[in-house]
Amino acid sequence: MTPSMDRRTFVRGGLAVGIGALSPGHADARDQLVVATFPGTWNEVHRDILAPYFQKKTNADVTQTIMLATDQVAKLAATRGQPPFDVAILDEGPTLDAIKQGVLEKYPAARSAHFNELLPPFRGEWGPAISMQTIGLAYNPKKIKTPPRSWDDLWNPAYKGRVGLTALNSSLGMAFIVELARLKGGGESNLEPGFRALRTLLPNVGAISANLGAHSALIQQEQVDIAVHNFNFIETLKGKGVDVDWVKPETGAPAWRTNLHIVKGAQRPDLAFEYIEGHITPEVQAAMAKPPHFVIPTNRKVVLGGAIVDKVARTPDELTRLVFHDWTKINEVRAAAIERFTREIKL
Amino acid sequence: MPARSDGEWRLALPVAAFFALFFVAPLGVLFVVSLFAEPTMQTLALRQYARFLGDRLHLGILADTLVLGVKATLVCLLLGYPLAWVIARARPRVQSLLVFAVILPLLTSVVVRTFAWIVILGRQGILNKTLLAVGLVDEPVRLLFTELGVVIVLAQVQLPLMVLPLLTTFGRIDPNLADASAALGAGQWRTFARIIAPLSLPGVAAGCVLVYAACVTAFVTQTLIGGARLIYVPLFMYQQATGANDWPFAAAIAIVFMFAVLFVVVLINTVGRSRRALVHG
Repeated sequence: MTPSMDRRTFVRGGLAVGIGALSPGHADARDQLVVATFPGTWNEVHRDILAPYFQKKTNADVTQTIMLATDQVAKLAATRGQPPFDVAILDEGPTLDAIKQGVLEKYPAARSAHFNELLPPFRGEWGPAISMQTIGLAYNPKKIKTPPRSWDDLWNPAYKGRVGLTALNSSLGMAFIVELARLKGGGESNLEPGFRALRTLLPNVGAISANLGAHSALIQQEQVDIAVHNFNFIETLKGKGVDVDWVKPETGAPAWRTNLHIVKGAQRPDLAFEYIEGHITPEVQAAMAKPPHFVIPTNRKVVLGGAIVDKVARTPDELTRLVFHDWTKINEVRAAAIERFTREIKL
Repeated sequence: MPARSDGEWRLALPVAAFFALFFVAPLGVLFVVSLFAEPTMQTLALRQYARFLGDRLHLGILADTLVLGVKATLVCLLLGYPLAWVIARARPRVQSLLVFAVILPLLTSVVVRTFAWIVILGRQGILNKTLLAVGLVDEPVRLLFTELGVVIVLAQVQLPLMVLPLLTTFGRIDPNLADASAALGAGQWRTFARIIAPLSLPGVAAGCVLVYAACVTAFVTQTLIGGARLIYVPLFMYQQATGANDWPFAAAIAIVFMFAVLFVVVLINTVGRSRRALVHG
């Protein structure tokens, strides 16, 4: 200790500096909004299309953090009242969970300029559906010459060890098993036929990815040649030059709404609202619907085109008639289904 | 001695406070959560523990995870021990270069290192392409999404944690001991078995503890390389917490897992210490 500085002064000074470092920083010159986004296509369109639009409109900055839907709900429930982000992006199932947990705000639709331009099924009370995701058969056209047509093609003996699936902790995994169950005489509340079918598929299954990020890598690294996957994710990969294509199964493509929500206790609900508004404007949705992302629009003013028309739906009306499952029922059986999946696929 | 140490313990207070606030307290919360009987957290019961310990699937996952750690640690030791020995014996300039090379992987994120391994181990990966080109195999070997793959990657990713403590231990062994052993007529192998190996045991124990703890909890590597079909405790816990929203069960698994890992770590330490007593006693 230097003689010129008395010990107590040193300790107090040190404490003051320490506390200063720990306390939240002072407000920046520009306003700041923190939002959640999904990996893959979503992260790209939010960063390249929505963020610039939002910044121009509000003169505020936005930080986008990549998080899966179930992780977002878990984080919001754990930090009640002090949410780490202001806008959540959730698929239908997790949205219902989040509503039950009481971590969302209702969407002020009355103040919205674009809410009523959305197709009716996409006008959510707790936040608009900004898009929908739909799943089908992704395959490597270099390895599989005849494009698959239905889910049954996954059972083709020629595909032994070449099929890729994903675990049930994503909407993709869950929607697939529900669809299997539905086609085999069960449904959302009776997954038994789905699990029975899945067991017979196991000899063909080459890999089951633990999460969505790893799922795309399966195809990119040619670990599998045919897989259940999202329309947008595959179109984005294709746009990057990966040998992959996507087919809507004959029995219809399962689809679910993807919603944006203002989080309860948000630090900047005003900016959160503006951000979500941006996402439902015709211009932003039209930009996102272009190649290579092909994010399916929910605003009926957006003209459908490209791969969306070729592969998913020719008209906005047709979009609302894809195979939508009842996620309220799915949520009731989800925990048990995850447990069962773990038990039965771990052979 | 007593005069000097008087009050010095107070220097540890900041870290103790930090530890209490950010480790012990959350651990307490975790424990309390694990005592709830249902996900809505209303009644207290030991149901979650009974559920985990009374199910062969769950116990199998726990055993797989603990065994995975043992395998990866052994591979790490097998590769790391000679490496550390070579580095310890190298000339100072070469030594600092080698140490830097060992530490280098620690400077990149574990996610990046693991993804690199996906490119290497995949069906169309570098390794398989080489094996096919050389004609050693007729069709790609399955490495990705197998336990072997996970062990290989864990051993590489955690290798610095093994080499660094060993290096310190080798550095502390008096070179005169080996010379004395040689002068008394012992061959190189005998010198190694009777002098070097026992003296390096504390380093082996320290390295094994670090690597083991890192391997069994390596969520990123386990899930990216292992996939969803090879389930280890970290992924299982994550699925229960976020996928199934069952926090009490996830918390109970965390507590059981912590004690199981602690048990193995204590075991390794005990072995290391008993041998050390044997050498010095």
